[in-house]
Amino acid sequence: MIKHAKASLVAIFLTMSLGAGNIFASDTIKIGIAGPHTGNNAAFGEQLWHGSEKAAADINKAGGINGKKIELVKGDDACEPKQAVNVANRLVEKDNVVAVIGHFCSSSTIPASEIYNEAGVLMITPASTNPQVTDRKLRTILRTCGRDDQQGAIAADFLMDDLKLSKVAVLHDKDTYGKGLADAFKARLKERNPKFKEVLYEGLTRGEKDFRALVTKIKSVGAEAVYFGGLQSEAGPLVRQMRELGIDAPFISGDGIVSSDFVTAAGGANATQGVYMTFSAEARNISAGKKVVEEFRTAMKYEPEGYTLYSYATMEAIAAALKNNKKHDGKTLATWLENNPVDTVVGTLAWDKKGDLKKSNYVIYRWDKQGKYAELDKKGMTQK
Amino acid sequence: MNAFDLYIIGQQLINGLVLGATYGLIAIGYSMVYGIIGMINFAHGEIYMVSAYVTALVIALIAYFGGLPVGAAIMIALLFTMLITAILGWLIERVAYRPLKNSFRLAPLISAIGVSLILQNFIQLAQGARNQAMPTLLEGVLRIGGEEQFMQISYHQLLILVAALVSMLSLNTLIGKTKFGRSCRATQQDPVMAEILGINTQKVISLVFVIGAVFAAIAGTFVTMNYGSFDFYIGFVTGIKAFTAAVLGGIGSLPGAMLGGLLVGIAESFFSGFVNTDYKDVFAFGILVLILIIKPSGLLGHPEVEKV
Amino acid sequence: MSHIPFKKCVKDFLATFLLACAIFYPLMGFVLNGFELEIKPYRPLVPALSMAVIRTFFLYGLQPFLQNQWQKSGAQRVEKKEKTALLAIVILIATICFTLMVPFLFSNYWLNVGILCLIYILLALGLNIVVGYAGLLDLGFVGFYAVGAYTFGILSSYTGLGFWSVLPLAALVAAGFGILLGFPVLRMHGDYLAIVTLGFGEIIRLILNNWTELTGGPNGMRIPPLTFFGIEFTRRSKYGGPLFHELFSLEYSSATRFQLLYLVILAFTCLVAYISWRLPKIAIGRSLLALREDEIACRSLGINHVGTKLMAFASGASIAGVAGVFFGAQQRFINPTSFTFFESALILAIVVLGGLGSTVGVIIAAVVMTALPELLRDFSEYRVLLFGLLMVIMMIAKPQGLVRQKYSQYTFE
Repeated sequence: MIKHAKASLVAIFLTMSLGAGNIFASDTIKIGIAGPHTGNNAAFGEQLWHGSEKAAADINKAGGINGKKIELVKGDDACEPKQAVNVANRLVEKDNVVAVIGHFCSSSTIPASEIYNEAGVLMITPASTNPQVTDRKLRTILRTCGRDDQQGAIAADFLMDDLKLSKVAVLHDKDTYGKGLADAFKARLKERNPKFKEVLYEGLTRGEKDFRALVTKIKSVGAEAVYFGGLQSEAGPLVRQMRELGIDAPFISGDGIVSSDFVTAAGGANATQGVYMTFSAEARNISAGKKVVEEFRTAMKYEPEGYTLYSYATMEAIAAALKNNKKHDGKTLATWLENNPVDTVVGTLAWDKKGDLKKSNYVIYRWDKQGKYAELDKKGMTQK
Repeated sequence: MNAFDLYIIGQQLINGLVLGATYGLIAIGYSMVYGIIGMINFAHGEIYMVSAYVTALVIALIAYFGGLPVGAAIMIALLFTMLITAILGWLIERVAYRPLKNSFRLAPLISAIGVSLILQNFIQLAQGARNQAMPTLLEGVLRIGGEEQFMQISYHQLLILVAALVSMLSLNTLIGKTKFGRSCRATQQDPVMAEILGINTQKVISLVFVIGAVFAAIAGTFVTMNYGSFDFYIGFVTGIKAFTAAVLGGIGSLPGAMLGGLLVGIAESFFSGFVNTDYKDVFAFGILVLILIIKPSGLLGHPEVEKV
Repeated sequence: MSHIPFKKCVKDFLATFLLACAIFYPLMGFVLNGFELEIKPYRPLVPALSMAVIRTFFLYGLQPFLQNQWQKSGAQRVEKKEKTALLAIVILIATICFTLMVPFLFSNYWLNVGILCLIYILLALGLNIVVGYAGLLDLGFVGFYAVGAYTFGILSSYTGLGFWSVLPLAALVAAGFGILLGFPVLRMHGDYLAIVTLGFGEIIRLILNNWTELTGGPNGMRIPPLTFFGIEFTRRSKYGGPLFHELFSLEYSSATRFQLLYLVILAFTCLVAYISWRLPKIAIGRSLLALREDEIACRSLGINHVGTKLMAFASGASIAGVAGVFFGAQQRFINPTSFTFFESALILAIVVLGGLGSTVGVIIAAVVMTALPELLRDFSEYRVLLFGLLMVIMMIAKPQGLVRQKYSQYTFE
């Protein structure tokens, strides 16, 4: 990278920023972990990092990738699109990563993916569910999570078939993920019943904690069920304030609340008891995953929730692709993944030509009294 | 209009009042500091955030070492939070603003933005990025109305209203009746003259920062109890709203800060409840712009006299 | 001054240590985890101790030493007019050469950071006209930046206009918004003005976020890739036209697009910098400065205060609008998260750190403040903390900004 033409003026920059890392041909394979490691989504960045870190450690212990060790590079985008582009450029050029796990926020993933695609670097996001991530048909971009439209549809079917309710208030957090989810939910209801009209469709502001005015409004329109597209930091206070005002209507949300932080944000399991959510079939119950989960809990004292195991699985998929291909460019790896299903801790993952998972395995979960969630057994509930 | 609608309107009014009281408590800190040295203390919202953490830590600590009666626990948590934030407020003034006292007025503003970045990220590093929570201390609500149709106020919310009222009254007495209050007002009017008359203006400024921080602590403690959850980012959103409230009421005026807070809270609550939640912030800022166009120095602020 | 007052030193050390403990112990020694508590009694010791050590070292080691050196050297401030002028020209030429070389020397990463630097220079120069020259504190400057970027997004997706035709249009639209904001706030001063502009910026962002039909809301808008007057930079043609690398028989490189963008922005930045540098020397600029100092006197002297202030708002806004278009072209995707209040604060920080009204200072500060978070990336999670710390330190070390603006004086003879 360093050319003799560079003047001494440049040297200051170089010593500070480039380091010595990539001058020597490395014996490691670098993989970037890009996500919000700071900022108000840092809790998710933590899940991303812990999952990938553990997976890399396990793979390295088992001999690495054809003898080479995996080395992780952290890239912090704070969920800001501006920083996401910088991180992407830096991971591609300075760190020479062969693949990237991330980013988290769809609004960061979309601009960053253009750069990975142009540079021919494989990027797999375990978390960005916005349809646009793969709808642009970029060659080297995949994801190990479902799409908003799949998730919203499952929740809508659940509302109509199992809960049999029709007066529903649809809320979202005005962000890419949350609004996408809420719109998909609404679209599915309209598709099944063209005359359907939600009683309320509004967006709250992320970062706020007081939703009492909105909650009072939910009460005044007499909603029988509430669907919320958003993350746990807003869902928690929202559901707590609903219950405080005596609204018992079922609360349904997506995988943005898959975290014990949801119970914490709601101030205890009393409020979250009975909340439904859509999430991929439980990784923690798949036999391949059980051992890993156990290790997380005992060795790292970390509850592998939310996106942790998906990040782990993403790393496994990347490792499998790297092992089975001599060329490590994005196109080869992506093509291989699209043609070969990979066994991971969350089950077998297979991709379609767009980079989405072939089989979305969203199911309905229910939070219980202890503040834990488990897959809902639909047999027991014919009526609400 | 039937009874149900009336209850809903009443409920929204309560929602607005409680929200407004929290804005008001924080706005007082902005207003006091502005009144004394004419700077916008952007780090003030973060002090509120820190106080939420301290409160939760103290409550958890009390639970850890064996329980206390709820009332005592709340009192201890409040006093301890006030102590810590007072130290923090003093320290921030000492380190980040005092060296800039004699430079032009935008310099401390930028330094304040730096301080708020530091506080936010320090808390994130020290306490983690996750949502934190506090157990519900006071269960129960006051309800007016029947089984289906009612309006209610929880004890937590009631506590916020009482705290706002009490602290507002005591602050008024402090500024209006005591010797310290007089030196405060003197410093506000003419710092140089106040110094000549033997007032230690530096001490006054320090104390004003401490009092502002203490008010943020009161808000932090009771609001945290009310919502039950918080994270390291709450200071920013609430801070901007409280600052809006302070300007709306006339920055520098303490009753104005409370009035502005209540107004912003009620406006938000009603707009959100009866029109549209998406645009409630647009509405709040719209009111602000409108009022300032009609009355350029806020509701209770003194109009600036342009000297020739 | 070789003698160090030992007793005082220890006293200060202990006082700092205890104060630091008072803050660090409650916030670091106990860590909340859900409803539980982890106690880590040794964790706060390291930062508290290091803080005490740093402060004592600074007070009793560094400060006296520096003072000593200063006195020993017998330094005196001497005005060296001719030499500084020559030096300035040399530095200017070197800087221009260097900035022109950037796209060909550096990797895509630094090139993109360079583009971002230039965008922030533009923004800061625009705000400098409003805050620095006109003395109108504007906390909602990011609104115009957003208007520029979204003008690009909306025009390109609904009418198919390209980068080059949008550029002047965005400047016009943003200027229009500047005047729209300018009218109601003509009567306001100081911090009332600040909060109204803050509200204005927020309103723009919220509308962009909520008006899904037009702007795509949080899903944002895609922006077509930059073309060279209709010639594409991609490897394969999307619209069937000739390609840049084929036309100029170059090897295909994904960097070409960014290199061109960089050079375009650079040219534009130079133009704006020149205008900004000349402004205090021409009539309209001087009336701006005069208005800042004393509005009543100016009005009695017949300066059109309405027109002058609106001019300041409009020109600042149009520069921000153009910066928004450049931002859109670089990112190729815009959504409202890029235009939060924090951006306004950052731009204002650049202007103040650089020295209000000083073109050179503002440019230096913009480069520093944009490159700094990137340089700090090696500190990973401590990055933003350090950024805040450096902001405070810079402000305290240079309260007047990096370059203190001096205006040329005129006398009657």
